[in-house]
Amino acid sequence: MPALFIFLSGCASIPPHIAELEASRASVELVDTPFFPQERYQCGPAALAAAISSSGIEVDVQDLVDRVYLPGRQGSLQVEMLAATRSVGRLPYVIDGTLQALWNELAAGRPVVVLQNLGVAVIPRWHFAVVVGVDTERDAILLRSGVEQRRVTSLKTFLRTWRRSDYWGFIVLRPEELPADVDRQRYQKAVAALEKAGRTEEATTAWKMAISQWPGNPVALFGLGNIELSLGNDPEAEAYFRAVVERDARSVAARNNLAIALARQGRYAEAMQELSIAREDASDPAIAAELADTEALIAELSRDAAVPD
Amino acid sequence: MKFNCLRQSLLQVVSLAIICTGFAQVSHAGVIETSVLADQEDRATHIARVEVLLASAEVARQFEKLGVDQALVAQRIQTLSNTELLLLQEQMDQQVAGGDALAVIGTVFLVLLILELVGVTDIFKSI
Repeated sequence: MPALFIFLSGCASIPPHIAELEASRASVELVDTPFFPQERYQCGPAALAAAISSSGIEVDVQDLVDRVYLPGRQGSLQVEMLAATRSVGRLPYVIDGTLQALWNELAAGRPVVVLQNLGVAVIPRWHFAVVVGVDTERDAILLRSGVEQRRVTSLKTFLRTWRRSDYWGFIVLRPEELPADVDRQRYQKAVAALEKAGRTEEATTAWKMAISQWPGNPVALFGLGNIELSLGNDPEAEAYFRAVVERDARSVAARNNLAIALARQGRYAEAMQELSIAREDASDPAIAAELADTEALIAELSRDAAVPD
Repeated sequence: MKFNCLRQSLLQVVSLAIICTGFAQVSHAGVIETSVLADQEDRATHIARVEVLLASAEVARQFEKLGVDQALVAQRIQTLSNTELLLLQEQMDQQVAGGDALAVIGTVFLVLLILELVGVTDIFKSI
């Protein structure tokens, strides 16, 4: 059966940059990570519950089942695991897929939710588990997995099962925490998604963390401006958008939203002026459409203001 | 036929509900979302509002088809980012679902493999 043999043994070796740990890294184990034994097909909610409660929020696994389980697929999607994390006001952050990145998060006290394929490529068995430790002496990974509170898997087996998900894993951050290895763009997107999910308070804290990490970060300033705008704090919003424009005079998005903040304060002429500068720099048709919406909005606001009660 | 009509109108209601939630979130037409700026560095074009709305409606339809309780669909859609919505709209089927289920095709394969190993079948023999 030559064809079969290739199927079953077709495991390439793990690249060294994935499997290597910097020398002198000690074993680490987060023994306090809670354990939620999974029900049938519910490894997603169970893993998520462990990671979220480890971040200090009490969770009900059933609520998470309602958030991530897809009956028609008998499982949970990766993006919904992230989305459900946002729904409780925590920031999901996808880590680099390396043993070192895993270790760094564990050392910072955060367990890592990982996606493994416990089967083989042709007979997949996709499974979410929580990495809670690395035993560097025995070359083993410690997991909360399925119905096992402390599963010990050899590093080699773990990496092989993890490789099939492209080494996918994420952490659950409190809004005032930054990841151990933070990638600016990835972090910005994560916070923007939290903001879009309506978690205003947590997003505000996270944007402020971004500014402390990267002073003057325009995306964070812009996000804070949008949050103030959504709360009706127009002068505060104006200040944030102006700060973005000061750093990047060609930021169409910042000028557009600045125009709205100004118009809402009755400063229509200034608003129109910002909008016309924005228009000069708008090359994307979708952005141009937004600018047209803004112009209509300003016209409407000024008309309403002109009509006596 | 009747069922189809009903389904269609239900879908429209759900889509409308999602669209309304979307606008409520932004609070004003014209405000450019933060994710636009966050995505800008590695995306050539801005994801238009209408694209997000269409993706939301389509993902909602697929979630319902996959058995998600109607009352939960809108909440689940709301916490997905725009890029995640587009990803699901385009390739929900290719997305892996972690849940320990063995795919049917996998199970069949496994049975065939066992049959092959015990010598009952000879399917995998190369000719």
